[in-house]
Amino acid sequence: MDARCIHAAVSGINASDNPAPGVGVAKSLRAVHDYDWKIAGFAYDAMEPGIYLDDVFDHSYMVPYPSAGHESLLDRLYYIHDQFKLDIILPTLDAELPFYMQSESELREHGIETFLPTREQYRLRAKDKLAELAEKTGLELPPQIIVSSYDELSKAAAELGYPVMIKGSIYKAYRAYSLDEAMNNFAKIIAQWGYPVIVQKVITGEEMNVIGAGDGEGGVLGLVAIKKMSVTELGKIWTGVTINHPGMIRAAREFVENTKWRGGFELECMVDGDKVWLIEINPRFPAWVYFATGVGVNLPAQVVKQALGLPVEKRQEYETGKLYIRYTEEKIVDMTVFQNMVTAGES
Amino acid sequence: MYERLAQLAINDEGFIFDPLTGQSFTVNQTGIALLGGMKRGEDELQLAARLQQTFDIEEAEARADVRDFIEHLRSLKLV
Repeated sequence: MDARCIHAAVSGINASDNPAPGVGVAKSLRAVHDYDWKIAGFAYDAMEPGIYLDDVFDHSYMVPYPSAGHESLLDRLYYIHDQFKLDIILPTLDAELPFYMQSESELREHGIETFLPTREQYRLRAKDKLAELAEKTGLELPPQIIVSSYDELSKAAAELGYPVMIKGSIYKAYRAYSLDEAMNNFAKIIAQWGYPVIVQKVITGEEMNVIGAGDGEGGVLGLVAIKKMSVTELGKIWTGVTINHPGMIRAAREFVENTKWRGGFELECMVDGDKVWLIEINPRFPAWVYFATGVGVNLPAQVVKQALGLPVEKRQEYETGKLYIRYTEEKIVDMTVFQNMVTAGES
Repeated sequence: MYERLAQLAINDEGFIFDPLTGQSFTVNQTGIALLGGMKRGEDELQLAARLQQTFDIEEAEARADVRDFIEHLRSLKLV
């Protein structure tokens, strides 16, 4: 690695109405001027907007979906490495993480770093395992029951009391006010995501989020707490504000210290006064990651520096009351880039 | 007495931001005056006297208005 130029690859560069974290991660890296950056975008579709943001990404490559198989993806990465000379890959999508976690050692042998949670850390934050994590870290989880049948669902919902949340262990959550609704939602989830399903008591309070990164040794590379002020119809943040809720910040720190979390994460919480309920832990940066960068806590850069053994300044302070405004922008580009992505698989 | 108020950012135009929750509120000039008094530790009687001085109202009405204002703040978990 050139001491002054870092070659990074970032996935999740879809910046549509359901944006992925990749563009925000890449913008965060560009915001660091101590180093030069060459940033490659990894795309699954030639229409992913990040491909066309030539002020953010120097180059983009199509990569196969994880379902294409371990060897297929590794072959593609080694080709890209030959061309781009990767120092580090920053995967930002849930579905990719198992592959990159599994391939960490092999990629490192080829000179490519990642900075991801261990398998055990990843396992512990799974929705159906959160109770175990909550117990270890002192975080509180809303009462919940894991179910794998309609009969178990019926008993669980009756025990917890309506309304309940019916949640897939991987994705999706629905609120149910009756057994009929619960069963319909259960059917939808198992059809798409399978078992098990989590039945959780609905908790009142305000939804708040914390973004952070762990250094892999129990230390916090940075934390920022926010409240979403408005969301889109898909539930994605549109505006937000930075806050400082001591209970949530403490919960995030305890999570990192107890798990020795490695890499980026997001805590989703419900807060009622001083009471903080843990709802979900995402094992990667959220799509609003640039919000933290904008208030001075550049978590993607912190992760890269930590991974590459570069000096890290653990920035903890940020100003509350800073607004995040997401907006729609437009770009007119030549067809050439699209043609190249479709025919050659790279821009 | 009203420790929670110390956490709030209140500007001269009556815009209130709560950095604990991210919530924001607005109050009129009367509200600004009452909040200022509460932050200085004034009790309900003192706050009511403040209203009486500013608006030509009876003590009972002033005290009722102060109580109402404080209950409103309490419902918003600001006191």
